[in-house]
Amino acid sequence: MDGRRWNELRRFQCRINTHPNSADGSSFVEQGNSKVVCIVEGPMEPPSRSQLSATEATLNISLNVTPFSSIDRKRRNKNERRIQEIITSLKRTFEQSIITDKYPRTTISITCHVLTLDGGLISAVTNSITLALIDAGIAMYDYISSVSAGFYDNTPLLDLNQLEENDLSYLTIGIVGKSEKLALLILENKIPLDKLEGVLAIAVAGGHRIRDMMDKEVRRHGELRLSKLANK
Amino acid sequence: MEDSDNADDEDGSMQNRAIVTPGELVTDDPVWMKGHGTYYLENRTYSSVAGTVSRVNRLLSVIPIRGRYQPETGDHIVGRITEVGQKRWKVDIGAKQDAVLMLGSVNLPGGVLRRKNEADELQMRNFLKEGDLLNAEVQSLFQDGSASLHTRSLKYGKLRDGVFLKVPSSLVVRSKYHSHELPGGVSVILGVNGYVWLRKTSDLQQQQSASHVGKDAAALSTRGNYSVGNASVTITRLEEESSWEIYSDVNDQISQSIRETITRYANCIKILAYCEIGITLERVTACYEASMAYDEAGKLIDREVMESIGDDVITAEKYRG
Amino acid sequence: MAKGIETSANEKAFIIDALTQGVRTDGRKLDEYRDVKISLGSQYGSVDVTMGETRVLCRISSEIVAPYEDRPFEGLFTVSTEISPMASPMFEQGRQSDDELLITRTVEKAVRRSNALDLESLCIIAGAKCWSIRADVHLLNYDGGFIDASCIAVMTALQHYKKQDITVSGEQVLVHDFSERSPVGLSILHVPICVTFAFFNPHGVEQNIKGDAKEIYVVDPNMQEELLKHGILTVTINKNREVCQVSKAGGLPMDALTLMECSHKAFTIAEKLTNDIKKLIEEDDLQRKGSQWKMLSASNDR
Repeated sequence: MDGRRWNELRRFQCRINTHPNSADGSSFVEQGNSKVVCIVEGPMEPPSRSQLSATEATLNISLNVTPFSSIDRKRRNKNERRIQEIITSLKRTFEQSIITDKYPRTTISITCHVLTLDGGLISAVTNSITLALIDAGIAMYDYISSVSAGFYDNTPLLDLNQLEENDLSYLTIGIVGKSEKLALLILENKIPLDKLEGVLAIAVAGGHRIRDMMDKEVRRHGELRLSKLANK
Repeated sequence: MEDSDNADDEDGSMQNRAIVTPGELVTDDPVWMKGHGTYYLENRTYSSVAGTVSRVNRLLSVIPIRGRYQPETGDHIVGRITEVGQKRWKVDIGAKQDAVLMLGSVNLPGGVLRRKNEADELQMRNFLKEGDLLNAEVQSLFQDGSASLHTRSLKYGKLRDGVFLKVPSSLVVRSKYHSHELPGGVSVILGVNGYVWLRKTSDLQQQQSASHVGKDAAALSTRGNYSVGNASVTITRLEEESSWEIYSDVNDQISQSIRETITRYANCIKILAYCEIGITLERVTACYEASMAYDEAGKLIDREVMESIGDDVITAEKYRG
Repeated sequence: MAKGIETSANEKAFIIDALTQGVRTDGRKLDEYRDVKISLGSQYGSVDVTMGETRVLCRISSEIVAPYEDRPFEGLFTVSTEISPMASPMFEQGRQSDDELLITRTVEKAVRRSNALDLESLCIIAGAKCWSIRADVHLLNYDGGFIDASCIAVMTALQHYKKQDITVSGEQVLVHDFSERSPVGLSILHVPICVTFAFFNPHGVEQNIKGDAKEIYVVDPNMQEELLKHGILTVTINKNREVCQVSKAGGLPMDALTLMECSHKAFTIAEKLTNDIKKLIEEDDLQRKGSQWKMLSASNDR
């Protein structure tokens, strides 16, 4: 508990186009004390022939949780099963939301670095990937906004931090745009079936708020861009 | 960018320069045809990228704010060979996919009208190998959006005697000519794809006398080990150009002063890119002049210097109108 | 998923069309779970589960080891899943594909992270000795629903398993043989059951994201349905109406209400299966007791 109300999000800040020279798209997302940098390269010629698909783009995601990101400073193995699982889930999620058949014979490579971790790993990473993809000008059906929600003593709680995550059962969802469609849903602890609906409801509402904030940033950046281009 | 907007704009909510973001409803009017950057369901058209709406006649598309270079037929581009394959080279042009340059679309030593034979196929790597830079024109586009190039002109071919630069492709303004001679014995090729080549203006360009060229080329062509090209007597200039020399890997003698000028121009283009000013011949020249206030070209990479020169270029342009 | 097994476009269209009309190729209803056949082995903790053509074998074993330093009061429990080309040619030897990883992780999460097994009861001497329980799951034949089948197999095997009794005297631990003292069962806190749903999107993606077309969902997909699916959802739930784990790793976006509907369906299925397993274990117990009595009475006769 950090003095928030049950349905309050943590401070959410994001920026796009943080690395304009080194990548096609980049973003930085700050969700409470969790900070994630995401870099998207592509669509581009795949590094090896075997990765090529004649009809759609292939997605490569790598996730790097830096050893200094959390308190225990544990060096995380890149091939750790949990990380691999998250990567697979993210890949499946974004394969559906990117219009991949617009980019045949190409690769889109996504690299995420978690700088500090304070709960909501999956949600912060998902949001940063969405923003970076938009920045790269890659065609997507809609935003994927993600947030976690937990459950404590009959009250659903939104956007948990690390301490809350350790002790409570929680779920992480990824929502498509302003709809109520879930692209991603991961729940790892016990939640009574009858409470699930309430937790989902606040998560969906929180996801929509995050979408709006991301949208605002994209627009702000877009306008900045256009005003510069007006000099042309 | 938005000048294509015309009387069709009856929908008040869709103003000029309005930014749309992915998933946003662009219009539910069925008259619009769906172009790039959109997807649709029944009559409703949605945006799939963040960008501005553009309407050309009845075609509705969303132009992304940022994105990779999209080749178009006729674009003059600079590219780098990434792969030598069966009768073709693969060329990185900064687009989504590598472009192809067919063996049949290049000028080979021994005259333009010569048929390409198996010997040529075998020594493709002698003409252009991986890592070589060339300038070319987009000949046609394939179904999937990748480009096919050709170098069948004097202007195109392998690049040497200079330095490569990369700028965002959106900053290079499409114009009639993309290869320019700049003051100070330097030429520039502003590839539409954002790849730029700065080089010493070649002797061929400077002295157009045919006899001189003939001698010069003959002297140079001895460096090559290709016998067929040398054996054929050079008559027309085109054939001259097609000789082995144009695929040479050896740079000319470049003087210290020209090297410095090239560096200065390179930094000037970087300044324009940094300030996100569209890059044209006039602006490069203006920027070069403004940069003369700093005696060392190396000083131009200071952030403050870059900004002040960028501002100078813009204000000077406004002043001139 | 796999190379070599591809369904032709026509067949695919046929199956999905049939699904929109509520017909599945194997004749089941959309929300019908396959019959689960569980057969218990002669030894404690070996279980063979058959669901349609899918066949899974689970074997529990135990040994005494030192506990983890950071958790001196808890025993160890590991689940290892073995997916070999024997089950289906689409699984390759040696290399683990994304799907296999996801399957293994889901089974592990369902059983281990939900604390189905009371780890504290496995402790013998705090910080020094504890039981380590290991569940080996082997996939013998694959026809979809591997997660569901292995979860049932592991949970049944755990309930069935009995470990040797022990006596602790100071630092010494005495392990009694089965014939010496009757073995003791493990303490199971709850029985999580996995139910997998496959989602199909009969319309275009645009329709799914912006339109109001509902996706079709199918309970307990078989292999063909799993190959054609657009999205998959696994709900793990127990008899106490507790959702232990939900994983929807991307794929087709779906409605939150559909999810609730699925969870409720999963609950009914889980309830039935739990009762079935319980009955089976009890029957087996009775039978074993009976034979033990016979043995005892036989020795009395002499």
